[in-house]
Amino acid sequence: MAALPTADRTPDTAGTGFADIVRRYQSMVFSIARHFLGDPSAAEELAQDVFLQLHSSLKDLKSDEHVKFWLRKVTGHRCIDHRRRRRPPQVSLDETPEPSAPQNSADPLLARRLRQYVASLPEKPRLVVILRYQEDMLPEDIAEILAMPVATVKSHLQRSLAILREKVTRTMGEVTI
Amino acid sequence: MTSMNPNPNRLEDVLKQALRREEAPDNFAARVLTQAAQNSRARETRRESWLGVFSQPLVRWAAFAAVSICLIAEGVHYRNQQRERAQGEAAKQQLMLALRIAGSKLHLAKEKVNEINTSRPESQPESRTPRSQS
Repeated sequence: MAALPTADRTPDTAGTGFADIVRRYQSMVFSIARHFLGDPSAAEELAQDVFLQLHSSLKDLKSDEHVKFWLRKVTGHRCIDHRRRRRPPQVSLDETPEPSAPQNSADPLLARRLRQYVASLPEKPRLVVILRYQEDMLPEDIAEILAMPVATVKSHLQRSLAILREKVTRTMGEVTI
Repeated sequence: MTSMNPNPNRLEDVLKQALRREEAPDNFAARVLTQAAQNSRARETRRESWLGVFSQPLVRWAAFAAVSICLIAEGVHYRNQQRERAQGEAAKQQLMLALRIAGSKLHLAKEKVNEINTSRPESQPESRTPRSQS
């Protein structure tokens, strides 16, 4: 994914442009926050703040790609800030609020468990996993957004996958993944 | 529980399914747009209220007076600086002149001393010899 702005694209910064941007990217921003925070109302509030910040920064963004890059970056950083500011008491996985399962998920129970396990990962690995598997981003693009080396992103991914595989195998023994 | 075939990419596939994008809540966009419009209006109002202060004559006069005082103070300060600089220059010139005069006087005195020294060596040996004999 080319995350940097491209000069040949027309800036989309008019009043109606902002409405289009919100409609186009609301699902992306909300889902990143939702999967990261696990709390739909907190995710909605955070997503709204991200778009309001975008509204005042829109004049500095040159293209659609730049807007998308900016939204992912700011949402990611705000998620981490939100979690650090309002760090909740440690709760067990069973107490973690469960995100609503998508209707056409292949295995709703496994998917639900996985979302819980992703929500229990440390902040940065969690964000890396969400950007990789929700947004289908390459490690290079994630590294750019999170301002970390590509090797670190890959290492977060490998370790997170190992943790998730181990947890799924332990709790849902019959499932082989 | 569900059974699946072992597959190295299976976990990644399931993760993609589990972390698929969800729809934002109903009216999310409408709420954001309303809030953005309110924020814009509030910003505009703040800017207008700040500039609106200057529409009152008393405030305008006060601002004019403040600016005038600042300009006058700056002018006085500048003139003082200029005067001090000129005084410093004059003092420096006087000092240079004094040093030049002192230098020439010293030069004169040195010449006199040299003159005296050059005339002495002839008379000194004669005056000492008789005294030692007596």
